[in-house]
Amino acid sequence: MTDFALDGEMELLRETARAFAAAELTPQERAHEAARQVAPSIRKRFEEVGLSGVEIPEGLGGGGLGSLARALVLEELAAGDAGAALALDPLGPALYPLLELGGEPALRELGLPLLGTSGQRAVLLWRPESALPAAGQKVSLEAPWVPTDRVDLLVVLCREGAFALREGIELERVRGSGLRTAGASALRVASAPLVGSWRGPGESRRALARARLYLAAMLVGVMRASVDFSRHYAMNRVAFGRPIAHHQALAFLLADMHAAVEGTRLLLWEAAWRCDRREAEAPVACAAAHVEAVEQAMFVTPNGIQVLGGHGFMQDHPVEKQMREARALGLLLGGADPARAEAAAAWVQRGEGSD
Amino acid sequence: MVDFSLDAATRERLEQLRQLGAALLRPAGLEADRAGEPLPPEHPLFARLVQLGVGRTRWKPAGADPAEAGEQAVSNGATGPSLTGVCTAEEMAYWDRGVVVAFPGPGLGEPPILSMGSEEQKQRFLGPFRQLDRPRWGAFAMTEPGAGSDVAAIRTTARRDGREWILNGAKCFIGNASRADWIVVWATVDPAQGRAGHRAFVVERGTPGLGGFRVEKKMGLKAYESTSFTLQDCRVPAQNLLGGGGGGDRRAGFKGAMRTFNATRPIVAAMAVGIGRAALDEALGFAREQGLLERPEVRARIERIHRKLRMARLLCDRAAWLADRGRPNITEASMAKAVAPPIAFEATSLGMEILGEVAGQGDSLLEKLFRDVKAMDIVEGTGQIQRLVMARKLVGLPRE
Repeated sequence: MTDFALDGEMELLRETARAFAAAELTPQERAHEAARQVAPSIRKRFEEVGLSGVEIPEGLGGGGLGSLARALVLEELAAGDAGAALALDPLGPALYPLLELGGEPALRELGLPLLGTSGQRAVLLWRPESALPAAGQKVSLEAPWVPTDRVDLLVVLCREGAFALREGIELERVRGSGLRTAGASALRVASAPLVGSWRGPGESRRALARARLYLAAMLVGVMRASVDFSRHYAMNRVAFGRPIAHHQALAFLLADMHAAVEGTRLLLWEAAWRCDRREAEAPVACAAAHVEAVEQAMFVTPNGIQVLGGHGFMQDHPVEKQMREARALGLLLGGADPARAEAAAAWVQRGEGSD
Repeated sequence: MVDFSLDAATRERLEQLRQLGAALLRPAGLEADRAGEPLPPEHPLFARLVQLGVGRTRWKPAGADPAEAGEQAVSNGATGPSLTGVCTAEEMAYWDRGVVVAFPGPGLGEPPILSMGSEEQKQRFLGPFRQLDRPRWGAFAMTEPGAGSDVAAIRTTARRDGREWILNGAKCFIGNASRADWIVVWATVDPAQGRAGHRAFVVERGTPGLGGFRVEKKMGLKAYESTSFTLQDCRVPAQNLLGGGGGGDRRAGFKGAMRTFNATRPIVAAMAVGIGRAALDEALGFAREQGLLERPEVRARIERIHRKLRMARLLCDRAAWLADRGRPNITEASMAKAVAPPIAFEATSLGMEILGEVAGQGDSLLEKLFRDVKAMDIVEGTGQIQRLVMARKLVGLPRE
């Protein structure tokens, strides 16, 4: 029966993530961005608060929670600093092909060694048209940008399944646009050996869906932070004799920005809820949440700057960084276009009168 | 715990409404649209609806049998009344929103009588709606030619004269007014006092001075009447003043009436979602028949409409869910009302693009929905008013 309330465990998780982000991530975000990494002391602190393994199965020492729990945590961390949220997550969305296709053995062998505070990173690439290479085969591929300065595990998701490699991955540091705290590199693999290859189109679809939720949750966090900051700014900044938030042009804009965040979050929660129930239509809902998040983030975060005017363009305030982070997040996994195509394909096939 | 499923009772209710909608509401709405006139009070649809239990009051006299016919039993721990209302409103509007407003019943006049009326007044005005002998309507009249969103600016005056009040003024766009047994008319005892000077009177049909009824010609939603009328030295007995029996409950009554907005705004928003869904289905059906479903621009439109309507529905559901828990939902109710109608409008407009020049013929359901839906961004507080309400909460926007 319809219920929008989080239970106690979820609420606690969200509060923990929010407190960590406010205390550790936001104050350091410019320093972290300049250094292209999160300070080791904060990495250690993150391990201590126990937010790192929310979706890792309990049997492997994780929290054993699902997509909704993860979405709550990711929103909070990304609201604090999206680049840092990625940097602090060794597996990132590469977790999902390991879980859905490789199962616990693959996660144990390939994923778990990356966990901890050593700063190792896995990268997920979505290459729908790629053929699935057989174990023992060698592969070559390129990516113009991945948000990391090191790759300890590369997982490539295609329609047929997924494959992984650990060696032969060459990186060239690039400047990066957003998410620089997590690093930025061009990636090249030339005839490198596989460490795993798994077939399963259905599982691949679910892995992609969960990866899309991951990005959508981060985008909701970035958007929310932009609205929060610009709203408070507008309530204090005075022009023409009153707080600028009390001029209708900005009051209405802020109301619309807030509604954009709330609506996107509801789509995200619904998709995550369907994912956790492993509903057959969950991937479509995840695709829709992803598209909505990418689109709304490009409405909200530029307007976060707009509210601050010239100050918003300066790097003294987080709103310019939020716009760059939102844009960068929206480019990952092929961006919104493939998600839009997947949702469209599902919806035009469905009959009229269906929900 | 977060859950997006509907309980079985609500799903069953929606299935019943689908049948009612397809059999009665959709045909009646098209009939009225073609005729360009509201469905007349003697239209057989209304008698049929009364047979089905539509149009009864929520009010029960003290000591009434709770199991009496027509009462919707609330199953234990089930979906609350606001969320149920939102779901059913969406489904009915899917079939025809104009017809829904024409439904017999005390309508928008009921909440102020319930919240401000004395027991005697409830008996007198709502009593006839308990077991309907025939289709009956009530009406609610606030809007005036010079006062829409700015409610405080109403100019209809009320002056006390002994045991009567004398009303003078003009009201417009009042739903079901010319067929109503009574109209809750808002008037001011002192325009300088703004809302504090407002009083609500139940003006009964046939009262001398109540007249000049003119059924307006509308762009869409033609099935129900939006009517203008005048009050010329209209004498109303003092016992028809709501909240007038002394005591300090008038302010509470007004607040109660405002609270009903927090329940009705998500309902109007959900009606927009219903119209949008109807547009989506029409566009999808047309595209399938014409073999257009492979075209990328068609798919992009379908995807966008579907996604946005789903989001709008979630906003409506959440606002209603909050109301059912007695939790503050002013911002969420206004958010749903601000967001859903433009999305639904877009659904009808993009749907017409999919039909292309066929839509230009003007005889498709989609073209009707396009004309119908625009009102949803205006009634029950325009989109701009909703943003004012939200901004008061979000940034402390002062009331001027």
